[in-house]
Amino acid sequence: MSSVPKETAAKRPRHREATLYQPLAGAGARDGAAASAAEDGDSAALLAHLRERALATYETSELPVWRRSGFWTTSYAPLDLGALEVRHHEPATADAAAPLPDAAARTLPERPRAGRIVQLDGSVVSIELDVSLAARGVRLCSLEDAAAEGSEAFARWYSKRLTADRHKLEAANAAFWSGGAFLHVPAGVVVEDPFEIVHVVGAPGSAQHARVLIVGGPTSEFRVHEYTLAESFDGQALHTEGFELYLEDGARCRLAHYQDLGSAEIYDSTTRVVAVGRDAFCHWLPALLGGHLVRQHLELAVMEAGGDMAFRGIFFAENEELLDMFAVDLHEAGPSGGDVHWRGAAAGSSRASMEGLIKINPGAQQTHTYLQIHTVMLSPRARIDAIPSVLVSADDVSASHGGSVGELDEDVIFYMQSRGLDRTAAVRVLVEGFFEPVLGQLADEPLEAVVRARIAEKLAAAREDIEAYAAGR
Amino acid sequence: MAELEIRDLHVRIEELEILKGVDLSIDRGEIHALMGPNGSGKSTLANTLLGHPNYEITQGAIIFAGQDITEAEPHERAKAGLFLAFQYPVSIPGVSIANFLRMAINAKREEPIGVKEFRGLLERAVELLDVDRSFTSRPLNDGFSGGEKKRAEILQMAMLAPDIAILDETDSGLDIDALRTVAEGVAKLHASQGLGALIITHYQRILHYIKPQFVHIMLDGRIVLRGGEELVERLEREGYDQIRQEHSAVV
Repeated sequence: MSSVPKETAAKRPRHREATLYQPLAGAGARDGAAASAAEDGDSAALLAHLRERALATYETSELPVWRRSGFWTTSYAPLDLGALEVRHHEPATADAAAPLPDAAARTLPERPRAGRIVQLDGSVVSIELDVSLAARGVRLCSLEDAAAEGSEAFARWYSKRLTADRHKLEAANAAFWSGGAFLHVPAGVVVEDPFEIVHVVGAPGSAQHARVLIVGGPTSEFRVHEYTLAESFDGQALHTEGFELYLEDGARCRLAHYQDLGSAEIYDSTTRVVAVGRDAFCHWLPALLGGHLVRQHLELAVMEAGGDMAFRGIFFAENEELLDMFAVDLHEAGPSGGDVHWRGAAAGSSRASMEGLIKINPGAQQTHTYLQIHTVMLSPRARIDAIPSVLVSADDVSASHGGSVGELDEDVIFYMQSRGLDRTAAVRVLVEGFFEPVLGQLADEPLEAVVRARIAEKLAAAREDIEAYAAGR
Repeated sequence: MAELEIRDLHVRIEELEILKGVDLSIDRGEIHALMGPNGSGKSTLANTLLGHPNYEITQGAIIFAGQDITEAEPHERAKAGLFLAFQYPVSIPGVSIANFLRMAINAKREEPIGVKEFRGLLERAVELLDVDRSFTSRPLNDGFSGGEKKRAEILQMAMLAPDIAILDETDSGLDIDALRTVAEGVAKLHASQGLGALIITHYQRILHYIKPQFVHIMLDGRIVLRGGEELVERLEREGYDQIRQEHSAVV
């Protein structure tokens, strides 16, 4: 078992800035030395250099406290980082029958899959891959192994767009990640069933620094379902994640994330970047369904002309949860297309902030994109900020946005009651219907069932709150 | 005792009394028309009968199938066999008509309805209302025209097979063809299922397709005049003003 460096006792001024709500815009973590190592195909040197630089940032920065809009604060200050450590378990073997961690066993649907990699805390504990896909050159392994093997895709793409110096937790991820997941689908390979990438935070005191690199070769087609889960426990834990998906020319991917860290005091700091190449397409749907404190920077970049994407998302915060999301629809070249549609709910005393940004760079002419954010509050104590915005630096484009924050409509509930549904069922139908325009686009029945079941659980848990809210209006 | 008995019903919204003592009895198989000008309390009566929480009953009782349902929850009234076709049906995005109907039917049953039985019911209802089968795959009332909404209401009524239905201005906003389709649908349900109905309307035209046995005129929160079909003809000739003058003592 290894530990991350302990926090120094001295308190430095905390990081307060709005720059975190800016797109990465392809910055990446690579400097000249990293670029040279990548050019030489020296994955080990590239990784060592980037870890070293990230460590320097980690050691000189404080736990972030972000404020913006004058009223929103996301603070990791209560996290006792010095008490956390990266926990390691028995490494994965070729034995595909390795038992799943409990949280994964409870959540993952029984269904056909192309492959699966499971990371518990700091270790990859299970890897399986359809042998016929392996024979066609598909590679699914730990990211550590990919780096050690000198994977060309690793050298080419690792940390190409993920930064490592914006804050302490991002630097921690880049410096200390272990295990990790690497998926490479070679050119022309079409895979019907999804690849599953699973992260489970297993115990209090655990610092899980998860890292994922996925590369879709030209004209490949595949699906990825990523699960971020946790066991139930008392005490603090941390999940950081750096996720990169690169789609080369003409590649197509349907990507879905299911995130539910449950009721434990787990702090999440995640940055996910999806980059779409020439004539490539990505349908991306994160379902963010819980966690004590969750901050997600989700960026979908169309890198080259002809790239297209559909960026959907749902979130549901409850109890005392804080969910801070920043979703970017970035167009670096045109013509390109985009369609961003998020829906979310907040119950209990939770707070959820969804900031969505369309950014169209100079030269990305003939880009057409639309951003909409719709939310519903299920409690008088819940708070939602829905902030759509547009930054356009080209003059032959169409970009628009819209958003709404609403409450449950009592007339609709009465309508359903008048047809025989009791109030609880009516509220459930109403909220499920609210999510349906996005949820139905998962186009994957087993995963849809998992998400629907979790939403139903959350609604059941919030029932008294919803009733009190209705009575008070 | 009639299937539905409304006794001396007084209803208010916030501090404003809308219904000021309504008595009405409706049996299965009977067609009643309730007519009155805007603001007379017709829709308040409809919503109160189904238990809308915004309407407070301050006096009187509603008896349905021998049970006092004055305080019952809306879904309990529906399960007992009451139905309201709304004047302004709300939309429920993300929920198809077919799925909603399956949920509503299952809410009234011990065991969920079988796929085959449900499909059979749905096909008969679709035929009755002269709509395309694909209509039932659309989210309920979401983006519907006025006519489609009213058809969807009657489609639900056909599927849920209530004992007594209240049709709150179902004829408003319908063109003549849609009106005929909807009205004929109601008439067929009346004939085939023994449906009892309270048809609330401003106008006479729907009553050309569904002949009421009983006609009630409501003014200022009270039923001031009762009769048969001849009342409809009188209204056509004289309008509400004449009746209002005759009953000026109470209105």
